[in-house]
Amino acid sequence: MSAAFSKRVDAALADPILKIAVERTAGTAEAKRAIAVDAFAQFEAARTRAAAIKDHVVAHLGYYLEQFETAATSAGAHVHYARTADEACKIVIDICKAAGARTVARSKSMMGEEIGLPHALAEAGIGRVETDLAEHIIQLADERPSHIVWPAMHKTSEQVSALFKQHHALPHSEETIPAMAESARRHLRQGMLGADVGISGANFLVADSGAVCTVTNEGNAELSLVPPRVHIVTAGIEKLVPSMGHAVQLLRLLARSATGATLTQYTTFYTGPKRAADPDGPDAMHIVLIDNGRSAMREDGLAEMLRCIRCGACMNHCVVFRQIGGHAYGGTYPGPMGAVLTPALDGLAASRDLPNACTLNGKCQEVCPVKIPLPTLLRGWREKSWREGLEPATMRQGIAAWAWVAQRPRLYRLAVRAAIFGMRRFGRGWIRTLPLASGWTAHRDLPAPDSESFMNRYARGER
Amino acid sequence: MSARADILGKLGTAAPPPGTAEALLADPVRPAVAGDRVATFLTALALPASGATHERIGSVAEAPAAVARYLAEHALPPAVFVPDDPRLAADWSGFALSLAITPDEPAVIAWARLGIAETGSLVFETGPHAPMLPNFLGLHHIVLLPETAIVAHLEDAALPGPQPRAHYWVTGVSGTTDIEGQYIRGAHGPRFLHVLVVGER
Ligand code: SF4
Repeated sequence: MSAAFSKRVDAALADPILKIAVERTAGTAEAKRAIAVDAFAQFEAARTRAAAIKDHVVAHLGYYLEQFETAATSAGAHVHYARTADEACKIVIDICKAAGARTVARSKSMMGEEIGLPHALAEAGIGRVETDLAEHIIQLADERPSHIVWPAMHKTSEQVSALFKQHHALPHSEETIPAMAESARRHLRQGMLGADVGISGANFLVADSGAVCTVTNEGNAELSLVPPRVHIVTAGIEKLVPSMGHAVQLLRLLARSATGATLTQYTTFYTGPKRAADPDGPDAMHIVLIDNGRSAMREDGLAEMLRCIRCGACMNHCVVFRQIGGHAYGGTYPGPMGAVLTPALDGLAASRDLPNACTLNGKCQEVCPVKIPLPTLLRGWREKSWREGLEPATMRQGIAAWAWVAQRPRLYRLAVRAAIFGMRRFGRGWIRTLPLASGWTAHRDLPAPDSESFMNRYARGER
Repeated sequence: MSARADILGKLGTAAPPPGTAEALLADPVRPAVAGDRVATFLTALALPASGATHERIGSVAEAPAAVARYLAEHALPPAVFVPDDPRLAADWSGFALSLAITPDEPAVIAWARLGIAETGSLVFETGPHAPMLPNFLGLHHIVLLPETAIVAHLEDAALPGPQPRAHYWVTGVSGTTDIEGQYIRGAHGPRFLHVLVVGER
């Protein structure tokens, strides 16, 4: 374990408020997803199809990028390419400067976080209004997102209330969550309507029409992107789909996996800027297509990770995430998907602990709507880390030891079986001691594994 | 080398084998919409996740009276924003009409091209007579939808030919679960959605 990671984990484990805040949101999300999945009888077949759609696109990314570029350009949008985060930020800042922008309204986008856009805008002296409620909360708190769908998941309502009272001109007087949401509605409305540039990410890029699809439940994307003069989209190249018909098959899974809804409240396809006779819409639309390591991931055995539609289900169901929250991971993306992505984005040497902070219980893969074999990809990073000699010679207690056990399938199976046995004896859903995980259980209860472990089923070929 | 040439060079731009993308559209995996599409749509609309209400009317001419009743029920004055959309042509003289949309518009009227039974979604497109912003600014969103325009699935919503600036689906009222996962209506967009299903009487 690196000292920095251990420190973050220890701090997270010792923070009693954090665990409560994370449990409230992740627990609700887990329950709602389960209901939605039960109600969709063909969910399993839909996952298989969704994975096939993404694999098809990832295999032919260059073809679809060109097709998208041609269609978007003929609809009047400007298409830019960026190899790296820095190139992407420079393109965005240059567009803002050329437009004489003083403030931008931003609609939550993990790609914006990945490339460090908030920082780049601040350096350029451009004001930034985060319009998603959770992003607004963490902007006020000067923090980073701790979850890809609920960025302020680590905040309790009491903490949010204090922030709003400090920063809003007309804050809520009643200590209820609806009153706090109303205070943010009042506060953000002027910011959205007065911005010079609107910046969004993309959930899908539709190759045959050149449309950019965003989904939100709040309606903040539309309020941020229609009034300003310029709309800038920052999107990862893996967001492509051949057509709207492919996008809707993924949308069905995205909403159910993220929030348990059948569809997000607002699903919008933007194609180019405002037409001559349109009463509203931006005069210019710019789309920045960003590689930032994705083409290399495809070649380096991480092609399956490019299926990810950023639903957040893997982290909501992860025993480690539920214990430590998102910030302890230290990267842009937390949880199981973050533990796979961060070493690819930030380098393995700096983030080799993340693939180790995992019990390999397989829950993330079971819930992933595009069937990403997250445990297999995490194991791949562990092996690479060992091969490259990044692991220290002596392994200590806690997560590191657990990881070491997990590298030895026989020991790992024994350890998990012992844990299942221990749980049965206690006759409860939670256990307080788990062999070889004392570093964890000193602070936290570990949820007990299902009565049969993923590895047992894996061994029988029931993946 | 330009970023574009670099990225496309690394990825390669060969076309997929003919028919492979189309095969992934065949037999889409989706919830069945059996029986009456209108009934399925109205059921989805009333689900708590959607939180919308509706009334069935016989023609567009009946819309102003239905809107007046709705506003009265919500103790709102008879004031609405009606976009300059010929599909909404009716006698709105009983209302105070906003000429330009304001940031805190209490009630906004709009026309939806389609309804989707699978999800209870309303389908809109921007156009010379169809602004987008009012549909997100208003507190009460009152939408006229022809009964004959209710289709079964999301796949049926696509608009053929050249796309408008924006094509958007509204599924229920604006909501957020950003504070402790608790569901709150009306985060930024409309807090109330009322659909007037226009029949052919
Ligand atoms: S890895 Fe799968 S479960 Fe996790 S965010 Fe991505 S799509 Fe969702």
